Amino acid sequence: MRSHHTRQAAQGEILCTQLFVALETAVLERVDQTDTFSLQGTAPAWWSSIFGTTTPPSTVRPGERSPFLKQFLGEAEQGWARHAAGLVRSGPWTERDPHGTTLHLEATALVVDSRQLLLVARLGADFEQARATLQRAREQALRHAHATKLQTRTESRLTTQLSQSEELRDDLLGVLQGLGLATILTDSQGRITFISDEAAGLLNVSTDRAGQRWEQVLSCSKTDRDAIWTRLRSPAEQHDPLTLHLETDNPRWLDVTVSPHPRHNEKRILLFHDTTELHDLRRLLDEKARFHDLVGSSPSMMQVYQLVRNIARVEATVLIEGETGTGKELIARAIHCSSARKQGPFIAANCAGFTDSLLGSQLFGHKRGAFTGAVGDQAGLFESADGGTVFLDEIGDIPLNVQTSLLRVLQEKEITRLGEAKPRKVNVRVLAATHHNLSEDVVRGTFRTDLLYRIRVARIQLPPLRDRRDDIPLLASAFLGQVRATMGKGVDQISSEALRLLLSYAWPGNVRELKNAIEFAAIGCKGQRINTTDLPQEITRPQSHTPLSTYMPPTTNHDERAQLLRALNQASGNRSDAAKLLGMSRATLYRRLANYGIDIPR
Amino acid sequence: MHKKICMLGGFAVGKTSLVRRFVTNLFSEEYHTSIGVTVEKKILSVAGENVTLMLWDLYGDDEFQRIRESYLRGSSGYILVVDGTRKETLATALGLQRTVEGLLGPIPFALIVNKSDVRDVWEIDDAALSELRQQGWTIFFGSAKTGEGVESLFSTLAHRLLKQAT
Repeated sequence: MRSHHTRQAAQGEILCTQLFVALETAVLERVDQTDTFSLQGTAPAWWSSIFGTTTPPSTVRPGERSPFLKQFLGEAEQGWARHAAGLVRSGPWTERDPHGTTLHLEATALVVDSRQLLLVARLGADFEQARATLQRAREQALRHAHATKLQTRTESRLTTQLSQSEELRDDLLGVLQGLGLATILTDSQGRITFISDEAAGLLNVSTDRAGQRWEQVLSCSKTDRDAIWTRLRSPAEQHDPLTLHLETDNPRWLDVTVSPHPRHNEKRILLFHDTTELHDLRRLLDEKARFHDLVGSSPSMMQVYQLVRNIARVEATVLIEGETGTGKELIARAIHCSSARKQGPFIAANCAGFTDSLLGSQLFGHKRGAFTGAVGDQAGLFESADGGTVFLDEIGDIPLNVQTSLLRVLQEKEITRLGEAKPRKVNVRVLAATHHNLSEDVVRGTFRTDLLYRIRVARIQLPPLRDRRDDIPLLASAFLGQVRATMGKGVDQISSEALRLLLSYAWPGNVRELKNAIEFAAIGCKGQRINTTDLPQEITRPQSHTPLSTYMPPTTNHDERAQLLRALNQASGNRSDAAKLLGMSRATLYRRLANYGIDIPR
Repeated sequence: MHKKICMLGGFAVGKTSLVRRFVTNLFSEEYHTSIGVTVEKKILSVAGENVTLMLWDLYGDDEFQRIRESYLRGSSGYILVVDGTRKETLATALGLQRTVEGLLGPIPFALIVNKSDVRDVWEIDDAALSELRQQGWTIFFGSAKTGEGVESLFSTLAHRLLKQAT
């Protein structure tokens, strides 16, 4: 039994020794309360690399080999002194052997059966695993801190940039608002992303319209909206502005340009200009530039308008002089319409081309049987114009005997019908016009001096168009408007090149020729704009090769004869073309050719 | 004369690198976390006297490992290490200083702001340190990587330890 216990104790000792070796732990017992320890059992393999001795019961002074252990033994001393059964642990420390290999160790001080023991264990796989885990955790923490730092820096940088951008945006917005630009910015869907104060004011809406469609802030006609839509869909910038009429309580005229956003192609910038004042001024100017049916704002025409106003106030007979096509009848109508007789009739008679009796009958009327074909009593134009105005055009062409009768009308205010003896009182104002130089006619004996002085109480001289070229654009535009109205064509513009030609042409036929040219061009025009190719040939033909470009107003009959011949020559004998060149009707041309004895074979 | 000096600071501030640079004049870019303590020894000649500095390179203090007071006992002085690129490591150093002073009383110490080789990305500036200087702290700027300030750090502390001993 005893030997059995002895055998069991020996086996237990062997087991403990093997166990410590397996745990790589050295077991040392303190010798006599000193700093010397004796190695117990078998030392682990690592022991000798640090502490030298390996064979029990060799003694060792571990504090001499390891400063760490030296300090630990000092701490352990207190535990040993108390003979406490508890453990005192050192915590891990690292030793390096002579070969530089590091060993992670941990010491434990304890008392067993009053024996003071020191266990020095090498920390193995578990320690390495814990260390690796800690390493990963710390690396992770470092990466996280680094990432956070980068994020913070990026955030800070972006915040700064955002702040700078906002500041810049505010500055630009301030400049934009300061410039008073009426601007709307739209996205690809036509929704408003920005509306400037000026635009909001102009359109009479609030500035918080972002997100709404542009149509919601722009009250205009469908035509105007469609035109803007077309511009918005166009990827290219179109510099010529659209003119639209804002239909609000405060109607306005706006010019709007639509431009693509310089950086975002799908966005559009609408820039509005209030042109209401300009429109009003144009209208006023237009009104000022129009006098009854007369168009022109040149100083010479303004003088004419004033003269007409003055003359209209009195009852004087007026002689209106001017080249053919200058608008003599229009002046006569303007005088009538501005006068106290405006409620009365206005009767115009062209005195050229009539025989003596026919013209006399036309003017003064006749009694039945007064001449062959006089099948009934007929009142003349003077009687018909009673209470109003008679306009006698081409008065220079009146035969001498009719001039006598006319003189009587002017002197006595009475007419006598052909075939009657009793004169009739008429209340008529006489306005006369001629392209002749009546003074020369008087010298030649073809016009009565007393009649000249009777009809020339007041005198208006109409300037030829070449002397008031500034009025050409205005006149062209007015004629174009008339053409649009009568023809229903959409021609509403004249190209700058075409206008340049109109301005440089001599216009021998004056305003009438210009009107004809515009009509001609509008008929041939394929689009909305009259181009040079639409204009009549004589205008587009180089002026140096055009004999009429040196057109001078006829001051004598000889001049007019030469002018007629030049026109015929230029038109290769074609009377219609020649009449057009001269700005007169074919009938007038025939009459004048006959007057001058010019005979062109057909 | 042997003097125990503890290297203290947050993790990855460069405590081990500074000791290694001082003892072996070597540097490694790789980061190896320390567990426990490694004791290194270097003999310095201070004022004609050899002083053996026992440099206790302690693990970094963080949420995973708190400094064991037993490691600190017996220290003659200590060095607080701060990573200039990580502002929070200064706060850790300040906390450790309070711990040590509470345990060991007012013993000599110095603070080094490490990683001066990457000063352009430092988060700690002079303003943060000027207050500490006013409190009498000895502060170094240095780099374990370049060796800048390392010798003077240990040498200055050794002088102070020797001066205190005499």
